[in-house]
Amino acid sequence: MGAWLRHHRGLIPYLFLLPGGLWLTIFFLIPILTMATVTLQEGSLGSGFRMTFNFGIFPEAIGRWDDQLLRSLQYGLIVTALTLLIGYPMAYTIAFRGGRFKTILLLLVIMPFFTSFIIRTISWKFILADQGFLLGTLKDWGLLGQGFHLLATPVAVVSGITYNFLPFVVLPLYVALEKIDYRLIEAANDLYASRRQAFLRVTLPLSISGVFAASLLSFIPAVGDYINADLLGSRNETMIGNVIQTLYLTNRDYPQASALSLILMIGILVSIFLYIRLLRGQELTV
Amino acid sequence: MSDEQRSHIERAIARAFRGDRITRRNFFRKVGRGGVYAGTALSLPAILAACGIGPSASPGAAASRAPVGGGDPSGTLNFANWPLYIDQDDEGASPTLMQFTEETEIDVTYTENIEDNQSFFGLVQPDLDEGNPTGYDIIVMTDWMIGNMIALGYLEQIDVARDVPNFVANAADKYKNPSYDPNNAHTVPWQSGITGIGYNPALVDEEITSMAQLLDPAMIEKYSGQIGMFTEMRDSMSFALLHNGVIPQDATMEDVEAAQQTLLAQAEHVRGYFGNEYAQGLGDGSLAITMAWSGDVFQLQFDNPDLRFVVPEEGGILWVDNMAIPLNAEHPNDALAMMDYVYRPEVAAQIAEYVNFIVPVPAAREVILQHADEDEDPENADYLRAVAESELVFPSDEMLGRLHSYKVIDEEEEREWNELFQEVTQG
Repeated sequence: MGAWLRHHRGLIPYLFLLPGGLWLTIFFLIPILTMATVTLQEGSLGSGFRMTFNFGIFPEAIGRWDDQLLRSLQYGLIVTALTLLIGYPMAYTIAFRGGRFKTILLLLVIMPFFTSFIIRTISWKFILADQGFLLGTLKDWGLLGQGFHLLATPVAVVSGITYNFLPFVVLPLYVALEKIDYRLIEAANDLYASRRQAFLRVTLPLSISGVFAASLLSFIPAVGDYINADLLGSRNETMIGNVIQTLYLTNRDYPQASALSLILMIGILVSIFLYIRLLRGQELTV
Repeated sequence: MSDEQRSHIERAIARAFRGDRITRRNFFRKVGRGGVYAGTALSLPAILAACGIGPSASPGAAASRAPVGGGDPSGTLNFANWPLYIDQDDEGASPTLMQFTEETEIDVTYTENIEDNQSFFGLVQPDLDEGNPTGYDIIVMTDWMIGNMIALGYLEQIDVARDVPNFVANAADKYKNPSYDPNNAHTVPWQSGITGIGYNPALVDEEITSMAQLLDPAMIEKYSGQIGMFTEMRDSMSFALLHNGVIPQDATMEDVEAAQQTLLAQAEHVRGYFGNEYAQGLGDGSLAITMAWSGDVFQLQFDNPDLRFVVPEEGGILWVDNMAIPLNAEHPNDALAMMDYVYRPEVAAQIAEYVNFIVPVPAAREVILQHADEDEDPENADYLRAVAESELVFPSDEMLGRLHSYKVIDEEEEREWNELFQEVTQG
């Protein structure tokens, strides 16, 4: 084996890729292809599904669920903007002003991961309950009307998703900011750049790879999220993930659910492509 | 029962339950819907595996086989049930299951992983379809799902006369030979319950007596955003049908479409479409009027004795959760031993004292009263008497007369009902 490898050194990188490649083939490629096949089938669980090359399902599914698709993209964009607005100053402070507390601060950022995603979201439900300790108290003080509620509103759903994906944004931003040579910023200041100019012309462009990674890490899961809409929202906040879940598990309409999943994937890929075009000329890999 | 008696009993219950026993109510508060998602996560790969499948096991695949049973138990039993649906002591162990093991030497692995019928069905369907054992010897499913599973040939036949004699001797007549499983050829009931209306008098000015007070937009406008409905399609649709004067079992497709219109008109005032977690909303004051399951409200009353459960004048739904043996289960004799065991009045009483849904064994009532007489703690005795006297645990014939069953629908009808209902819940 050793001798054989010495003669075929060129193969070593491929051998290293093999486990990952197999993993992706089994758990990504095959399911995706299966899903794509199911999309074009018609039938039911009882009578079986038959391949009918029913391409009409795509316009049909988009027409039926356009509100929910658009709402998901819209929530995804708002969440991405909010997480960046909140996460960038956090990452900046930790990277440049964290000093010896850096590790502890980073630990605090990832601390929520020690509790399950669902339990954390349900906790928000208790905190924001109409008569819970937050709103209940404010209502008792007469600061809010008795009918006021936060749960079952878009604000609750968008805030829930923002909260849940914030750590995914802070970490790549931190990595990008941390490796910036601080002397470059000092140099900008020496050359009479204001703090604002130094930030816009030095720090921000140098951290753009982090911004890119962070936005993908929040946008993609946010668009597909269904747990926040389910736990914190109502009928009017239904996202496409909720529709797909109901189609799969309750209606057992596998073709339509698969079609919507594919449409969602394509929608996300197109959004990412546009985003890359927008940032063209920048160094996007960390 | 007069209102005065009723509130006396409810206060007694509240007293009895002060203390930190794990009740079903506490459980909902602590766990909420987490389990649903855990279940979903598990079943997704299963569903992927199910994709591209051929027709399901031909109808009646199990029907041509002889009933299981008649042999000796193997000593192992895997039992899947809904959360907090069996008695539990302070350590979280079930006295019923421990006594069963002591007596029969059958070890029970009891799993509380059924959160709703559809998700659990999605979890075991690929195995059943392939004819593989699911890993469970008893599963507990609601009547309509039992009907579907029998039609798909997914359940083993049983012979109650031979293997479940306590059922024949002790079950109430209305649980024998049900329409969804003629002659109890596959199932015996675990517990049953009522879908009715629960409300919080502190938030509602008038007494609730009719479906219109839940479903008519003009009447609920002032409670907008505090109305709760169920995601369980059959419950919500049946309510709208009853509101429109249609008995669910007689509903035609036009009736169902009209019911959808009723629900759509109501939707703008609805806070949400809930599973088990509606109980949390009713408890914490975010829901004023909601669809409700009888046993849950009975439990919530320990915390808030003012809460009310009513069967509206148009009627309510009586549902039955049944024990069944899935196709090719590995330990059918042990499953039958368990089915027989829980139909002993003492065992049924022990479960009823904790679970508070409707017990299929009428003789359990006497046992509970006897327990009350023997209990030295007056608060516990009051609680046990309240269980025995409750219309929600031992409903009167008058109450039962106003309850209806779900309509048994075929796959095509179910698809149409589901599509109509999804428009209600998700726009």
